[in-house]
Parts: sequence; structure tokens; C-alpha cells
Amino acid sequence: MAAIGIRGLSKSFDGFQALSEFSLEVNQGEFLTLLGPSGCGKTTLLKIISGFLEPSTGTITIGGEDVTHVPPERRDTALCFQSYALFPHLTVLQNLEFGLKQKRVSRDQREVRISEVAAKLELETQLEKLPNQLSGGQQQRVSLGRALVMRPSVILFDEPLSNLDAKLRDQVRVEISRIQRDYSLTAIYVTHDQSEALAMSDRIVVLNGGKIVQVDTPEDLYSKPRTPFVADFIGGANLISGRVSSQTEKGPIIIETSMGPIKTSHLVKDNVDNVELSWRPERAKIGEGPHCGTIVHRAFQGQFTDLILEQNDIIFRIRTNNDKLRVGEVINFSLSPDDVVVLEVDK
Amino acid sequence: MTLRDWVPIFALLVPGLGLILVLIGSVVYVAVAQSFGYYALLGQSAFSLEFWSDVFDRKLFSRAVRYSIYVGFWSAVLSVALAYPLAIWLRKPFPGSIGLGALLKAPLLVHGLVAAFLYINVISYNGLLNQFMQGIGIWSEPRRLQNDPNAFGVLLLQVWKNMPFALLLLTGAVQSISDDILDASRDLGAGPWARFCKIIAPLSISGMQAAMVIIFIGALADFTFQTTVGPTNRQSMAQLMVSFKSRGDWHSAAVVGVSLMTIALLGSALLAFTSRVIMRGGLR
Ligand SMILES: Nc1ncnc2c1ncn2[C@@H]1O[C@H](COP(=O)(O)OP(=O)(O)O)[C@@H](O)[C@H]1O
Ligand SMILES: [Mg+2]
Repeated sequence: MAAIGIRGLSKSFDGFQALSEFSLEVNQGEFLTLLGPSGCGKTTLLKIISGFLEPSTGTITIGGEDVTHVPPERRDTALCFQSYALFPHLTVLQNLEFGLKQKRVSRDQREVRISEVAAKLELETQLEKLPNQLSGGQQQRVSLGRALVMRPSVILFDEPLSNLDAKLRDQVRVEISRIQRDYSLTAIYVTHDQSEALAMSDRIVVLNGGKIVQVDTPEDLYSKPRTPFVADFIGGANLISGRVSSQTEKGPIIIETSMGPIKTSHLVKDNVDNVELSWRPERAKIGEGPHCGTIVHRAFQGQFTDLILEQNDIIFRIRTNNDKLRVGEVINFSLSPDDVVVLEVDK
Repeated sequence: MTLRDWVPIFALLVPGLGLILVLIGSVVYVAVAQSFGYYALLGQSAFSLEFWSDVFDRKLFSRAVRYSIYVGFWSAVLSVALAYPLAIWLRKPFPGSIGLGALLKAPLLVHGLVAAFLYINVISYNGLLNQFMQGIGIWSEPRRLQNDPNAFGVLLLQVWKNMPFALLLLTGAVQSISDDILDASRDLGAGPWARFCKIIAPLSISGMQAAMVIIFIGALADFTFQTTVGPTNRQSMAQLMVSFKSRGDWHSAAVVGVSLMTIALLGSALLAFTSRVIMRGGLR
């Protein structure tokens, strides 16, 4: 049975549609990520799941039980806030205890749970401190611990890493993943950062303008984006439109584009002539090949080099290990038909 | 800091702080000295404890002390108790909330004496309240409501006058608590009462203490409301002081005045301390 069921959900604020016709099932023990640009409705959805907002239409079930109209204090969810939202007047220990006392968990049980979580998050030596005496990373861990001691049936994260510096972000990211697996928690994680989403998730829900665009595993989302929005938002794919010039039963389909003919081994729906193609910058093989372009910009990134190329007024991006190429050079490259994805055109 | 750094700072502080210290200091000094027999306006000045022992022996005095503390305490508690829910309600702006907030603070602009006269008009023997209650048939004849023995009229006016002030202080304190913190406590299972006791009250404690103390001191020394609507068989300390003075007994008046200051000081410290203890730990 699904841990969380969201059916036909929509939410509008004074006529502004923040979420529309949203349906989704989250499995027990799954790490699900909501990914989308800022303003696409991610926080709104989390607030509806945790009970702070009521949906305009639709229902939410948690563990099979309809909780659409249950207030947050009586829902078995725990929310980790982007701002951490630690209680500034309470010590770390009192912060961790807060929810357990509210739920009238016995003193013994409280001690057991808190010492376990404090050990796991390396907070044992910080218990008597006030939040403002902690570093950002420690505050983040207290906020995580405060949610974990509740042993909620679902834990919700709203961009929990956005206030941390890059190095700490990687560290806490690994920590969250490890804890989620150790406790087999059902987690819904909100982010606008595609690399976080790809690294942590079992499944990713891509949102745009309050609607689900695609739900897939990170691998499939990356290799088989369904729309130009997904292809561009995740990994910054090259997009190009073209006309189907030959479609045979066997062998790749040839699409005529302003870059010349491009082969794809992905199927095009019958009766479709105009298509949108996407290919990943790192999949181009430089050297021999039917395609070419002039390097107009080069950015050395360490492990790889990003090249911006131009051909026939079309700009595209190639990522390569070759750091010898320079601006102004003309290079040839090839694309494998498997790496050229045919997209659905956005409505 | 060196002496050279201190000189300009000291020079800047002198006009303000110096004036305050001289004015307050001299008044307090004269009051204390007078209560011990010095600065006599008539007769000779000499140290004496007789005024203190005389005044303290009087039943009138101990009753006035108890009565003034009663008025001060309940004015402070009731004003704050009424202001808290309003402050929480007005925490987030909603259509009309600014107008409402302004309306609630209107009593700050009306002088206490004016309010007292309006109040008398409402509750007098032929006043609006009596007419209304008879009109709807609840009371069969007019009742005497003026100068009630429990000083409810005084408390009502004190609260009416001071609640907006408490509201002003508490609104600021409550608004500084972030939504995320309140949401977090809710998410962890805290209902409205637990949110108030464990989050809002402890985080707005300094605003509340300030309101309590200032209202307590003001109401403790009440003269206006007491003389207009207070019970006729009681005297407040301020009233007692004035009555001593009008008999020319400046020394006894000074004893009451010094007692009033002492009670204000000790009482507000006690009030601030207990409210902190209750808000931080007691309401769990
Ligand atoms: N309380 C509200 N009133 C009006 N509009 C809101 C409210 N909350 C969110 N919105 C709007 O809904 C949209 C989605 O917001 P949000 O869920 O916070 O986006 P995200 O978390 O994906 O950045 C935004 O355009 C935002 O302006
Ligand atoms: Mg958000």
C-alpha cells in the first residue's frame, strides 16, 4: 500500500493556480524528490501534505487514512524547514524533546530515542547549548534530529541544504541519505537543485507551473527526458527541432535539422512530422563525424571543459575531456542514435 | 578605553542623564528626608522616626496599601491578559487589521478624566446601562452602580486605559516570532494552548514584563479614577498622601510617598520575576 496518496489535488490563492490536478503515490520507504524551478508550487505541496494549507480540491491519504482535513498537530508527518526553525529559547535537548513531550511519550522512551538520534547525528556534546551557539551544519542536524525522534510515517524536507556552504552541503546530503535508508523512512524532499535530486532520490517528480511534468528514476529522467523543459532543466541538454525525413522499420530514423541530418534510434509517433530532439553535451564524440561547429566560448572546469559551439546560427554545448581545444577552432563530432532523444512538444 | 575616550562620552551624557539624576535624585532625597522630619515647612526640622511609626500604626494606611496593591496588580494582570489574544490575532495582517489596531489604541488619546466622566454617565442611576437593562426587562428597577465597593469601576477604567499600551508592547514582541517557528511547533504536535505557553509566551516575555511593570506602577499610584469612580469607603495611597498634605502634614504625606515608591519598586521586581518563572517553567 502506498504510504502517501495524493489524488486530484489543486490549490489556488485568490485565483492564482499554484497547483493543478496533482496526483501522485509515494511508496513505503521511498525517497521521492520534488524538483522544479522556484515558484512552481513545491512548498505549497509540502504545506498541504503536512496540513498547514488545505487543498482547494482533492484528497491526501497517509497510510491509507484520509487526512485532507486533519490539522498539522495531529498528522503523523515531520517537516524539516529551510530556515531550520529551531526554538531559540530552548536548548538542543529541549528542542529534541519538544515533539515527544507534546505526544506524551514516556520519559524512558524519550531518553532512548534522543540518545540514539543524538549519537547518530553527533550531537551528544551539544545537548545543553542554545541554537544560536551552534554552527549552521549543527543547526541543520538538530532540525533533522527533532523530526527523526518523532519516528513519523513520512518526513518532509523543504530545501534543507540551501543555507549551507558547498562542502557542508555534500556532507549533510550524504547524511540525510544514510539516515533515510537506516530508518527506512518515507521521505519527500523538495529542491530546485538537479544534482541533489539526481544523487539522492529513488524517484524524481519534475514540476513546472504547478503541474507534474515527468515522474521517473534519476537515470531514466536523465537519459529519457520526455519534454524540452525536463531535458533543459536537468543537465542542460541541447535542444533542436527538425522534420522526420525517413522512418523505416529497421535502423535509425533520420531527422532533418539545421545542424544537418541527425539519426535517432528512439521512436517517433506515427503521423508526426515535426519533432524536438535533445542530446546531452557529454555524449558528443569529438573527432570524425557528420556534425561540426566553431568554438565560440570555452570554460575549463577541472575534470572537463565546456565548449559553446556555433553552426548555422545555432548555438549548442559540448562537454569534453580534451582541454587543448581553443576558441575559433572548428571541430567535427558524432552522436550515437541512442543518445538522441525525441521529445514530446510542450503544450 | 582610556580617559581621553571617556571625556567626550561623559560630556555627551551630562545634559540628559545629569538633568534626570538631579531632578529625580533631589525629589527622592527631599521626600525621604521629609519623612524623617527634615525640611519642615512649619516648625523645626530634626531627625525623627515618629512620622513613620505614626503612619504605620494607622489602619487607614495599611488599608490604603492593600487597596492600592490590589488595584495595581489586577490592572496589570487584566490588561496583559486581554492584550495577549489581541496581539496574537493581529500578528498577521488581514484586511482591516491596521484600522482595527488603530481603533484599539484610541484610548491612549483620551484623557483618563474624560473617560471617567463618560463611564459615570453610562452607569449612573439614570444612566444608559440602567435604562437599557430596564428597557429589555432584565432589571425591574434602576441599580446603584457608582463607586462600587470592589472598585470594579476603577479596574475597568484602568484596563480600558492601559490595555492599548500593553497591546502596543505585545504586538511588537509577538510579531517578531517567525511563522516557521510557530509552524514547527505545530508540526511537532503543539495545539493552540501549548503554542502559547511554550513558544509565544517565553519569546515575548520581555514585552510582557515591561507592560506589567509599567501598568502596575501607574495603577498603584492611581488618583484620578479613584476619586471619580472608586469606592467611597477606601482610599488609595495617592489619595491618602493628598489628604495628609492638604492638612499641612507634609511629613506623613512624605512617608506615604516613600512607601509608594518602595512598593512600586519591590512590587514590579516581584511581578517581573514571577511572570518570568510562570511563563518559562510553570505553564508546562
Ligand atoms: N499564501 C499565498 N498567497 C498567495 N500566493 C501564494 C501563497 N503561497 C504561495 N503562493 C504562490 O504560489 C506559487 C508557488 O509557491 P511555492 O509553493 O512557495 O513555490 P516553490 O516552493 O516551488 O518555490 C508562487 O507563485 C507563490 O507566489
Ligand atoms: Mg519553496
